[in-house]
Amino acid sequence: METFNNFLGGAVTLFSDPLGIVIFFGGVIGGMLFGAIPGVSMLTLAAILLPFTAHLSPEHGIMLFSVIYCTGVYGGAITAILFNIPGSPENAPTAFDGYPMTKNGQAGKAVGAAVMCSAIGGTVSAVIMMIATAPIANWAISAFGPPEIFALVFFGLAVASSVGAKTFWKGWLSILIGLLIAVIGLDPVGGIPRWDFNMPYLLAGIHFIPTILGFFAVTEIFVQAENRAKGSYQAPKLSVDFPSFAELIAHKFAVLRSIVIGFFCGILPGIGATLASFMGYNEAVRWSKDKSEFGKGKLEGVISSETANNAATGAAMIPLLALGLPGGALTAMMVGVFQMHDMEPGPLVFLNSADLVWVVFAAMFFANISILFVGYLETKTIINLLRIPFQFLAPMILCLATVGAYAVRGLTIDVIVMFVAGAIGFFLRRSGYSVAGIVLGLILGRIGEQTFAQAMQMLHFEWSGFAGRPIAAALLVAGFLTLLGSIYGAFFKKQV
Amino acid sequence: MKLKKYLASIGTVAVSMALSSNIAFAACATDGLPASMDGPDGYPERALTMIVPYGPAGGSGQVAQAMAQAVSDHTGISINRDHKPGGSGTVGMTAFMATPADGYTVLEHIDDASSAHALDSSRPNPATDLIPLVTSQITFSQIYIRAKEDRFTDWPSFVEWVKAQGGKATIANVSKEGSMERVMMKFITDATGMEIQQISFDKGAPRYGALAGGQVDALFEQPGDVRKFLDAGTFKPILTMLKEAPAAFADVPSLTDAGLDFDPLFRFRGFYVHKDAPADRVEWLQWAFQKAYCEDSYQKYNESKFMTLIESFRDTAGSQELITNTISQYRDVYKQMGLEVK
Repeated sequence: METFNNFLGGAVTLFSDPLGIVIFFGGVIGGMLFGAIPGVSMLTLAAILLPFTAHLSPEHGIMLFSVIYCTGVYGGAITAILFNIPGSPENAPTAFDGYPMTKNGQAGKAVGAAVMCSAIGGTVSAVIMMIATAPIANWAISAFGPPEIFALVFFGLAVASSVGAKTFWKGWLSILIGLLIAVIGLDPVGGIPRWDFNMPYLLAGIHFIPTILGFFAVTEIFVQAENRAKGSYQAPKLSVDFPSFAELIAHKFAVLRSIVIGFFCGILPGIGATLASFMGYNEAVRWSKDKSEFGKGKLEGVISSETANNAATGAAMIPLLALGLPGGALTAMMVGVFQMHDMEPGPLVFLNSADLVWVVFAAMFFANISILFVGYLETKTIINLLRIPFQFLAPMILCLATVGAYAVRGLTIDVIVMFVAGAIGFFLRRSGYSVAGIVLGLILGRIGEQTFAQAMQMLHFEWSGFAGRPIAAALLVAGFLTLLGSIYGAFFKKQV
Repeated sequence: MKLKKYLASIGTVAVSMALSSNIAFAACATDGLPASMDGPDGYPERALTMIVPYGPAGGSGQVAQAMAQAVSDHTGISINRDHKPGGSGTVGMTAFMATPADGYTVLEHIDDASSAHALDSSRPNPATDLIPLVTSQITFSQIYIRAKEDRFTDWPSFVEWVKAQGGKATIANVSKEGSMERVMMKFITDATGMEIQQISFDKGAPRYGALAGGQVDALFEQPGDVRKFLDAGTFKPILTMLKEAPAAFADVPSLTDAGLDFDPLFRFRGFYVHKDAPADRVEWLQWAFQKAYCEDSYQKYNESKFMTLIESFRDTAGSQELITNTISQYRDVYKQMGLEVK
């Protein structure tokens, strides 16, 4: 009851203040717009706004950033579904099935599912955040160290091996290519240069955003251009039909599963929404009776990814507020907002600034709810971009993707990487390899390599040390069993 | 050349790190500089660009933002920050070296640039290949344990406990090859005879979470970065890596108190311009950045980061001396460590 009263108090404070309302809706719309534009993410908006928050009250400043976080994570889903351009990395798995749905004439359904599931995932996450921030934060950092996170990544890769590839072997080869790309640059623990060919820019590694833009957007344009040249191009069928209530109810377990996964990934410092969306998608594939439908336009793929990434938003606030540990780049910027007002996030915030905390909680709750309404309106308008003929749309997408790739770090090499990835993706896709697997290997490979090296240091380079950590051991065993099951299927069920 | 006279008059601000001990910095180090200065021939006629080789949320991103704001407040000139993270600062440095030497692009960098040059002399030497405008943050390191720790409570009991673990004890830091942290840990382990496994975390949050969650036994960090954990009573410092403890950490043993006889290395952050930039523009930039250091907003920021416990300010000559000494110190240590110094 006390929690509910605090929440009501926060909501009243938020909506009884005209400036607060303006900032709230500015954050909702700004987050959605910046989230939707590739490269120019919610982080860009946050970085622009950071100095100005010094002129706002602490409540308004922190509330603005938390609202941008909620809606920014959702915003990238629209372009991922309509044009195969994930606005942010956490929307990449949404494109796996969202874009094929657009091609199948189900764009409205895919976007509608993204809107509703983002709102559900984010809202539930916000509610859990309100109820149990402190105990969850303390449990997460005690139970999950590098060995557990490495085991989680291994499990995720084992599950994802079949996503989007024609055969088991091609799926694994795709993931291994991604892992190989992930080792370019300085090694994450010792700082040793690898595969840099004496090019300083390669020391920073291959960034996954240009790679995603290349494999998804550029490859898609090449494929469609080829179809057009052959005379087999078919414009996407326009539809603005939202998913029915019955369809969503039919996916209730997928939603619940993704909330748990997303929340769980969100509370781990340094992990966040990107891993959440991939893990949510992977688990949807693993639990599906017909895995071959994924990657071809399955609604459950969109639901799982979008529920999970928004479920991570509320969760990521837990270590930030309870312990002062930001889960990702945007929450790290929130630390900056706190500091501008001579405050530090952490246990003392609940004691010294309880009002601020509850205004933020209320704002995040309503920001997720507002995704439903603003997202609905956005969908009914933006979806009409599909009416633009391909010869005009394709150059626009290429321009947008090029700007997005360059904007990540302001490096020309990222644009080159994008086009090279686009060309490679074009040929890989024809031969049945999975570009989704490559991207997954690249993103999870970075986290996996780093946590593996840290885990081995912690376990004094003894493999048996994993056995002494029950959660890590359970995840590793589950990963190996999944892998063995896939190999068994490949050999004995002729899925080669 | 009026500025040079002013700079000479304030002298090289206390080069020795012995300044660390209990000195209050009441007057700002650049009070002797002129309050205003016209740029040569209308320079700067557009916004400056500041290349930051790290992301916006970390220590470098924050100091870049605070300094850019202070320069803008003092001069009215905007500074656009261009973050180019990756490669432990190499990407940003390379991008900066490729920009025109026209005085419109400045670089923020940390002591990693000095240690990188010490290890490989083909990398730019910040003291000679660049012109330091100002060093605005110099800080020391400490070793922290959890405040609720019961296996050890202070430095002597920690050393005793670590020795009893036979190499199984762990400490979280940024132990990349040749890093300040790894070098300092070598000093400590050589001096105490203890063996401890270093776990390298390149980002702050997982590093601090590792100590708070009990994943590691201790943490190597600078006090400004963990201030919130100190204020909240979550972490407890047990060793200050200075010859003499500053007043704010009077109860924490210094190197001298702990009987550790080595010269500590420091984390420092500063701002640079191309060495070939026009001299009159460099002079204006030196004035702008050094005056900005004394802006209230910047001083407040430094104070919040424990950056006023030892003298953080170095002008151009002071920065060059600091960098040159640091490079020399790193080179000696690298050779002792058996690293290949190119």
